[in-house]
Amino acid sequence: MGGTTEGDDVTRPGPDIRPSDVAVAVSAGLIDTIATAGGRARTLLGPLARAVLRPPLLPASLWPETPLAALTRSGEARREALAAEVEARLDAVVPVVVDEVLRRTDLTDLVLRHVDLDRVVSTVDVDAVVERVDLPAVVQRVDVDQVVKRVDLDAVAARLDVDAVAARLDVDAVLDRVDLTAVVLRRVDLNAIVEEVLARLDLVALAAEVMDGVDLPEIIRESTGSMASDTVRGVRMQGIAADEALSRAVDRLLLRRGDRTTQAPEHQREPKRADSSR
Amino acid sequence: MREREVSPLPREARPYQGRRAGLVTRMVAAGIDGLVVGLVLLGCYGALVVLLLLIDPRNFSFPDFGLLFSIASAFVVLVVYQTLGWWLVGRTYGGVVMGLRVVDHRGRRPRLPGAFVRALLSAAFPIGILWVVVSRQNRSVADALLRTSVVYDWQPEDRPHHAPPR
Repeated sequence: MGGTTEGDDVTRPGPDIRPSDVAVAVSAGLIDTIATAGGRARTLLGPLARAVLRPPLLPASLWPETPLAALTRSGEARREALAAEVEARLDAVVPVVVDEVLRRTDLTDLVLRHVDLDRVVSTVDVDAVVERVDLPAVVQRVDVDQVVKRVDLDAVAARLDVDAVAARLDVDAVLDRVDLTAVVLRRVDLNAIVEEVLARLDLVALAAEVMDGVDLPEIIRESTGSMASDTVRGVRMQGIAADEALSRAVDRLLLRRGDRTTQAPEHQREPKRADSSR
Repeated sequence: MREREVSPLPREARPYQGRRAGLVTRMVAAGIDGLVVGLVLLGCYGALVVLLLLIDPRNFSFPDFGLLFSIASAFVVLVVYQTLGWWLVGRTYGGVVMGLRVVDHRGRRPRLPGAFVRALLSAAFPIGILWVVVSRQNRSVADALLRTSVVYDWQPEDRPHHAPPR
């Protein structure tokens, strides 16, 4: 309410006196007075009016009220017709007027300045709105590539807890879908790996272990040995057996418990010298 | 840390490698050494006989040196033989056959003085070897006095012997 229009007179009688406002106030006062007077008059003059309009000694057809009622009905019909005509004219005129008004008015600015949009939106049932939205169709219209292009994926990735993601990953399922053999054959330099393994492998120790495992010396002895060497070996082993047997017998005779301590001192390395110590 | 080696020893002999030998093997080795000494003496006698025959064939007769000389020469040959054997390679021929080696308290073959003294003792008191069967460490009288040991050693060279892996 309020606001000025272009038709206001610039030269007013005083800063607080507006003639238009005075005229409206006077008119309203007169209407109120008439309405009040009319109401009081109806209250005071009601019984008299009934007596005048419906004289008791006259039949109803001669009452003065009868033509007045006819006139009232005629007037009402005319009023209704008039109202319909006015309404029709308004139907034709109002859109044009409204259109002209809106054309001259910034409705958006008007709404923004005078309408509490937060209160309006708070009354909106957003869920019902969303339910009615065809989201697939909306998404279909979105150019995802353009959207993604504008997203700083590095920043997103920096905030990503990769460990948590990896913890939830079913590695077995992933591996089941991958042909690891083909991947390795295609992407792994097997020659380099074999070379690295061989470089780290103590081949001498490995060979020694293999030779000891297959008893290569025995194989060589069997393949190159003579009867004499076999005889000597046999004599030695029999001598050792005889030593053991004799030792046990003597120990039993002497009532000794425990084995003999026959381990000799181990060879102690001496520092290398230029001349022989023989 | 000892490197893994391929042992040339037969598997059945490995547990005994480096352990002091008993009486039987030492006696057999001593017997073989005795045979060697006898062969050497015989050879020397034969060489002398040949020499005398070449020098004076007409007046040749087999020399007779007497028992004492024979025993003394045998003693000397035995001492020299054992001394050289134990000092140079740690074993005599009898030890080679029976797979025995003489070592000192350091686990090495004895030095010349030690080898000589041991040879003297062994030759002068041969019965001292019988102490091996009584000793809990399989030592003879000479071993006990000189802190030497006669060990099983099947390796042909004079390698430092170590205790067999347990």
